[in-house]
Amino acid sequence: MLNPTSVAGIPRPRFALRPFLLFAIIAAALILHIRPANAQVPFRERLKSLPFKIAYETYVDDNWEIFVMNADGSNPVNLTKTPNANEHYPQISPDGRQMCFSVDEGEGRDAVRSLYVMDINGKNRKKLADHAREPFWGADGKLVGFLSQEFPKFNVSDFYTTGMNFYDLAKGEITPHVNSSNLHHLYNPGWSRNGKWIVSTVHAGMGVEHGILLIEARGTNIINLKIPGCRPCLSPDGKQIAWGAGDNEIAAAPINLDAERPSVGEWTLHIKDQTNKIYHVDWSPDSRFLSFSRGPNGEGDLTKPGTFQAACEIVGVHAAGWNICVVPADRQGTLDLNDPSETDFLMLTTDGRSNKEPAWFRARR
Amino acid sequence: MTMRLLPLVSLLVLLNGCGKPGPGSPSEPNAGGAANQTGVPGPFEISTQSGVPMVYVPGGEFTMGSDQGNPDEAPPHKVKVSAFLVDKFEVTQEMFAKAQLPNPSHWQESPQKPVERVRWRDAKRYCNERSLLEHLKPCYNEKTVDWDCDYSASGYRLPTEAEWEYACRAGTDGPYDFGRADRLRQYAWLAENSDQKTHAVGQKKPNGFGICDLYGNVSEWCEDVYSANYYKESPAADPQGPPSPEKDVKRVIRGGSWKSSPDQCRATARQGERTGNTDACFSTDYCGFRCVRRVTPAELQQLRAAQ
Repeated sequence: MLNPTSVAGIPRPRFALRPFLLFAIIAAALILHIRPANAQVPFRERLKSLPFKIAYETYVDDNWEIFVMNADGSNPVNLTKTPNANEHYPQISPDGRQMCFSVDEGEGRDAVRSLYVMDINGKNRKKLADHAREPFWGADGKLVGFLSQEFPKFNVSDFYTTGMNFYDLAKGEITPHVNSSNLHHLYNPGWSRNGKWIVSTVHAGMGVEHGILLIEARGTNIINLKIPGCRPCLSPDGKQIAWGAGDNEIAAAPINLDAERPSVGEWTLHIKDQTNKIYHVDWSPDSRFLSFSRGPNGEGDLTKPGTFQAACEIVGVHAAGWNICVVPADRQGTLDLNDPSETDFLMLTTDGRSNKEPAWFRARR
Repeated sequence: MTMRLLPLVSLLVLLNGCGKPGPGSPSEPNAGGAANQTGVPGPFEISTQSGVPMVYVPGGEFTMGSDQGNPDEAPPHKVKVSAFLVDKFEVTQEMFAKAQLPNPSHWQESPQKPVERVRWRDAKRYCNERSLLEHLKPCYNEKTVDWDCDYSASGYRLPTEAEWEYACRAGTDGPYDFGRADRLRQYAWLAENSDQKTHAVGQKKPNGFGICDLYGNVSEWCEDVYSANYYKESPAADPQGPPSPEKDVKRVIRGGSWKSSPDQCRATARQGERTGNTDACFSTDYCGFRCVRRVTPAELQQLRAAQ
C-alpha cells in the first residue's frame, strides 16, 4: 500500500479516454518505480528464501528464554532452556558465530542482571560481567561493549546505567570507554560498522533531557542527532538508521557515518501502528528488512516469576500479546500496520508470549 | 488540636521562613504551640533517622473542597484527618539518588531541585526504599499491580488527597492559607515567576504549618485514584480515594507547578494524571512528590527528644 500522499499530486481522471489513459500510465509508472522489483512475490516467500535467522527473547513456562527462528518465522528453537535464569536482549556478533545477552537472577530489588556470551548454537556459555546490561558488539567482533548499572540495587528502568565498558573476549579484560565517566543514563547502544561511533539513547543525563546520540568510540566527541524517540539501530551497510520515533511509530532515514560530523537525512520510511506499541527495531544483515516487536500497551504482570513492573517494552517486563514482526526496509513512505490491505508486513510469531528484542543474523551452513 | 490557634501559628512560621533544605537543625515553626490529642504540641518540625526534615501535622477536622472553584472541588465537606508527618520539602534529586533510584529529572542543575518526570509507581518505590533505609515497615506491596498501600505500616507513603489539602490549608479556609492571591509569588514558583523551570526546594516562604513549595515548583502525586465526583461520596474520616477502575486510571496530583496559573495553585485545586508506565521518553516534567507517614505518640516523643 503506497503512502496516499505520494500520489496526491496526480489530477483526478475524468471519464474521457485520453485523460484516463494518461492517468493509468502515470499510475503504473509510479507503482513500478516505487514498489520493490520483487514485491509481487508474496512477502513470506521472500523471507523464506533469505539466508538469515532471527534471535529474540520470549517468556515460556514462567521463564525468559532466547529463541532462534528462520527469517519467515518457521522452526523456532529454544537456545537457553534454563528454568532458573532469565535470559533476554540477544545481540549477535558481526560474523554470526556468537551471541551476547543479559541474564536476570533473583527477584525484586535483590535481582542481579549479568551479561553472558555463548556460541550461536547455545553452547560454551560464559559470564562477562555482573550488574551490567545492554551489551553490544564491536565492529570486529572482538569486543563486547556494555553499560554498568547505576547503583548496586536492581532497578528495571532502561536508563539505569552509568559509564560504558568494553569486554575483550580474547584477553578476558574489561576496560572503560575513554570518556566513560561522562557517559550517564544511556540505553540501547549499538556500534557502527565503520567502528567510529556508538549510537545510543540518553535519558536525563549528560545535560540532555532525552535524545539519540552518536558517541565517538575511541574519543570524547558526542553528537546529538536531534531525532525524536529512542532505541536507535544502525544498518549493517552503514548507510541508514532506524529508531523508535514514538510508542507507535518507527522511522528509518539515511545517515552519513563516515562524515566528520554525521547527521540524519530525511525520513525514508515511517512505520505506524495506532493500536499497538512498536519497539526494538533491528536491521537484517543485508540492510533490506526491519524486524521489530509489536503488541498492546501494558505495565507487566507481577504474577509472572522473573518479571518486573514498568512499560512493557522494557527488558524484563512481561509484555502480553507481543510478537516479532518484519517489514521491507527498501519500502519508501508510510507503512500503516493497521491497513488490512498491507502486504509488506508479516508477524513472525503469533503466540504473543512476550516476544521482544529481535536480532537478525546470517545463518551458518 | 485547637484549630483556632492556627492562624497565629501561621504567622509565626511566616516570620521564620523556609530555611535551607536537606539534613540540618530542625526549626520549630510552632514553638509553644497548642497541645493536641497526643499531648504533644504541634505542628513542629523534626528530622528523621536519615536526616530528612519533616513537619508533624496534628490530627483535626477541616472543610475539604470548595464551592467556588472547579466542579470537581465541590461539594465542600467536613473531613477528619489523623495526625501524620509530612516532608517539609518536595523530594529532591539528591534524596532520590540516595535511595539508589535513577534520577529522571529534566532540570538537573542542582541536586536540591525536586525530582520530576517521576512516575507514580516510582514515587512509591522511593517511599519503600526510604522506609527500608530507616528500618521501617514499607507501606507498599510491590507484588500487587497498584502497589497496594498498608496505611497501618510505619513506613513512608504518598499523602492522601485529604492529608495533602489539610496540610496545605494549615487551618485556614481560603484558596491560599496566606490570604491574598497577590502574595502567591512569595510562596510559590509558578508560571509567572519560574522562568519556566523548577527551582531548588525551600526558596519560597513556607505555609502556615512550615511546609514549603506546596503551591508551586512541582505538582505532587497523591495516593488516591482521581474521580471528579468523589467528594459527593467521600467518607468523613481519613478518606483514601475511590476504588481503582480497571482501565485509564488517573491518580490525584495536587498543588501548582512551575507552569501553573495562580488558579491552578489553589489549595483546593485538583488534577488527575495517568500513572501509565510509558517509556522514558514520554514522562511529564511538572510532577514530583513528597512523603508522609503515620506516627504514634510514643514515637513522636522519641523523635522529638532526639532532636
